[in-house]
Amino acid sequence: MGGYLGVVLLDQVSKRYGRGPWVLRDLTLEVSGLTVLSGANGTGKSTLLKIAAGVLRPTSGRVERPASVGYVPERFPSDVKMSASSYLAHMGRVRGTEVGDVLERLGFVGSMTAPMSELSKGNTQKVALAQALAASDVLVLDEPWTGLDPSAAAELVSLLEGRTALVSDHEGHLASATRVDLAGGHVTIELSRVSAPDALEVLEGVRSVQARGSSVRVVVAPERSDQVLAEALRLGCSVRSVR
Amino acid sequence: MIALVRYLAVDVLRGQRYLAPLLVFLGVMGMLFASDAGQPLEAYSGSSALLYPIAAWMAVVVATSEDVVRREITVVNAGGWPRVLTAAALVAVMFAMAMAVLAAVWPVVTNPHPYTAGEFFVGLAAHTGCALLGVGVGLLFARPVLDSIGRTVLAVFSVVVLTYPLGRATPLGWVLDALGHNRVSLSLLGTAAVGVALVAAAVVAGVRRA
Repeated sequence: MGGYLGVVLLDQVSKRYGRGPWVLRDLTLEVSGLTVLSGANGTGKSTLLKIAAGVLRPTSGRVERPASVGYVPERFPSDVKMSASSYLAHMGRVRGTEVGDVLERLGFVGSMTAPMSELSKGNTQKVALAQALAASDVLVLDEPWTGLDPSAAAELVSLLEGRTALVSDHEGHLASATRVDLAGGHVTIELSRVSAPDALEVLEGVRSVQARGSSVRVVVAPERSDQVLAEALRLGCSVRSVR
Repeated sequence: MIALVRYLAVDVLRGQRYLAPLLVFLGVMGMLFASDAGQPLEAYSGSSALLYPIAAWMAVVVATSEDVVRREITVVNAGGWPRVLTAAALVAVMFAMAMAVLAAVWPVVTNPHPYTAGEFFVGLAAHTGCALLGVGVGLLFARPVLDSIGRTVLAVFSVVVLTYPLGRATPLGWVLDALGHNRVSLSLLGTAAVGVALVAAAVVAGVRRA
């Protein structure tokens, strides 16, 4: 980890929205250098990136991050009335740093003074990247190659070299980066004779517990399904099905 | 913080959604003071009652000027939700205060009754209190406290409409009662204090909800 300016540490991080299913459960991750998040749709990549950037608070767990974080969301809005130059100048002042020559390096060719709503998707993405890459410590990028032409995509790869960045990347642009795979899929266990659903809910790997008539449906991360099943039997539950 | 306030204010002005509450405010002010509006303090009661819902509307415009995704970027660049929500509250208060000053000056220029400096400052205090109340109510029900603009509009509208019949039971009623009876009252400061407390509560609620 030496040599990198910033390190992001996620310690036992879990996240659920309201009373919904667990999106992340007990995730521990140290990001130093280039780290790529992979996993199927809906496995919590964007949620994890938002937690790492400081947009979302985890439901439980601890996050440590340096002061200067740059963030690119999955989809930058297309209806911004402000011009690119105005937006970047404002974001630079808010952050207290200069945006630099990132736009030129990415090959931005649109009007800097027209409203961003008039820019192409690729150019809008370049503006989003420019405001984030001004961050000095850590970058958190959600599908940053979206809409970029091949030369801009290659330039982005070179811009990320030597930096600490947590990146969601479906397209394999960062072959040499550390990869973190968020386990996809789940196992659904249907139980009856459940006297203490709360005891199931707190088990590691359990994403949701829902009562359905006389039975209870437990959604579990695949790697923890055996342990949850054993604990359910120990609690006196009957197993109706496992899918 | 200054850079953040400036950015959010520019974003509101570029978005032009502020025009609707501003034009309604100017239009109703024009109607209120088209003819003799009565004694100086009494004349202020109509514009004070008007400023409360207009300030709430303007606060919702300020709070929702950035869409959710752009707000997330701003939060990261600014260093967290507390700074961004505090800055947004300051912008909403600035817009509301500009209207409060305009509302206090308007009858001084158009009303046939002469105004003393004291009456002007009482009017300014009354409008400030009503504006702060409106900003507090608007922010308390806007994003990120309530995520849906439909719920925000319904909640703000309901609270604003319910405030008037409650009369002196509300801080707005304290102001309108004092002005309607042409008297100066310490309750004007109480209204402003409740308004400040509401704005602060809205920021805290937003930070907790975000």
